[in-house]
Amino acid sequence: MSEQRSAGPASPPAAEAAYTIDELMITVMARQLQGEVLVSSVTALGALAAHLAKRTHAPDLAVLSTPESGMEVAPIPTLTLGQFLTDAQQGIPLTMEDIFDAIFLDRFRIWINPAQVDRHGHVNITAIGPWDHPKVALVGSRGIPEDTSHLSEIFYYVTSHTPRSIVEQVDFRSGAGYGPERAAELGRPGSPTLLLTNLGLFDWSGPNHTLGVVSLHPGVSPDAVREATPFPLALVDPVPTTAEPTAMDLALIRAADPLDVRKLEFLAGRAAAEGVVNIYERERQALHAAVWPHRGRSR
Amino acid sequence: MNKLMRIDEVVGAIPAGATIAVGGSSLSRKPMSLVRALAARGRGDFRLIVDVGGPEVDMLLGTEKVREVIYAFVGFEIMGLSPHFRRARESGSVAFQEWTEFTVMAGLDATVKRVPFLPTHVGLGTDVLAVNGAFRRFADPFGGETLVAVPALAPDFALIHVNLADPQGNGVILGDGHVDVLCAKAAKRTILSAERVVSAEELQRYGRDVQIHRIHVDGVVEAQWGAHFTGCAPYYRADLRHVQDYLAAARDPSSWAEYVDRFIGDRHQDYIAAVGGAEALIGRLEV
Repeated sequence: MSEQRSAGPASPPAAEAAYTIDELMITVMARQLQGEVLVSSVTALGALAAHLAKRTHAPDLAVLSTPESGMEVAPIPTLTLGQFLTDAQQGIPLTMEDIFDAIFLDRFRIWINPAQVDRHGHVNITAIGPWDHPKVALVGSRGIPEDTSHLSEIFYYVTSHTPRSIVEQVDFRSGAGYGPERAAELGRPGSPTLLLTNLGLFDWSGPNHTLGVVSLHPGVSPDAVREATPFPLALVDPVPTTAEPTAMDLALIRAADPLDVRKLEFLAGRAAAEGVVNIYERERQALHAAVWPHRGRSR
Repeated sequence: MNKLMRIDEVVGAIPAGATIAVGGSSLSRKPMSLVRALAARGRGDFRLIVDVGGPEVDMLLGTEKVREVIYAFVGFEIMGLSPHFRRARESGSVAFQEWTEFTVMAGLDATVKRVPFLPTHVGLGTDVLAVNGAFRRFADPFGGETLVAVPALAPDFALIHVNLADPQGNGVILGDGHVDVLCAKAAKRTILSAERVVSAEELQRYGRDVQIHRIHVDGVVEAQWGAHFTGCAPYYRADLRHVQDYLAAARDPSSWAEYVDRFIGDRHQDYIAAVGGAEALIGRLEV
């Protein structure tokens, strides 16, 4: 699913549908963030959600502009300029030790986009197929095990809800979901908390902590979600509809992402490559426009 | 003590089979001038330790210099997966140990603290513990809860790229620090490459940004644009045009041979010329 923007002169009033799926997802993500915690900006959607939350209902959030630094700056999603933004806006630089201490102390929140999420909340970014002879070697567990063994809330999103990404059982558990092992060895409540996809918002409130529907996005039918999900989903009747972004949400998101970096997460192949080049060529200009006059340290 | 070295001397100092920790993070501040020299002339059979790895792992795998990789992540972020890492993982031609971001830090820190392991909850409930035999579950001797013992990681060498260094080996990092300080402390020998080598007096003016201290450093190489094609904040950004060319070449064995021929050597100035010269890099990459 891509654009939901209403088009053509004969369309009904644009106001209600004049947003795209990325903007709807960012708004839903923002609503989950609250309190005085560090919020990581590893992805454009995560960065924009943190920014939106801070500018609306959660002013105390400590938002990072990069995976590891730049607290107290307004994140502008770019491909290569995160650390430059920290410097140009005189963000507070953090260290990797600061980040992991915040995780261990449960004062950290993050939206993670795994390659696979399963019925029980396990996630995978390591490999498709067996670990020692994978069909596709992905990237490695990175910091997900840290998150799933320490955070009381953990949020996942997937931009393409299909039987490839939403699975009965992940091929490799990079992150712990619900199961006997969690109960025996971690025994902590909470994580994982929510899964947001391009079709709806889900949690693990089904029988034995299995995936259930919280709400479906406007225009998405229960049948469409069942078809895209390779196992039975816990559904309530009637299924609530995801609340849409407000005009203010949309204005804040668009102003914070002048390069449309958020759209890249929904593209693949040639379109994604072209999008990357297009943003890459323009992003220095956008950074300079956004933070002028330059307040950074001299060399 | 003056620790200035040439790149070829660094390559000569690293024996076959050495365990090498590499600083930086994916497309940020990787010591690429040293990596290219090792890829071209290194003795090989290396064990690599990376927290968030990318081009350095891919290039050394692509030039068959690696026998094992210890990693939390290997990839090119939004630009895609690492082609040679994928090939080596899928064929099983090289040994791999999957760690995690904090456990790599803890393993290095254990070496610094001269203890055999450090305890953590990280990894419980995941398959990392199933596939990585380096970790052990153990019972907390005080309260009995299950913990994971992260064994010490002891690199023979650390390779780190910094913004500025003095000839004695103090190093200034102006962007994100990643895990470079831990690498420098944990390694038996640490080599810095620096955008610019300045006098000790000038370097000292950077105060808290002097993150790498000379008591942990054994060699300093001056290499302007030495992180290219990764970025070096706040001087220059990652060269995503070159990353695209690199990835296209690495995906295809015949074009990879051409890439190696054209770009991978131990003469940094030749490389800068091959990518268009310093003037062109300034125009494309300075921020």
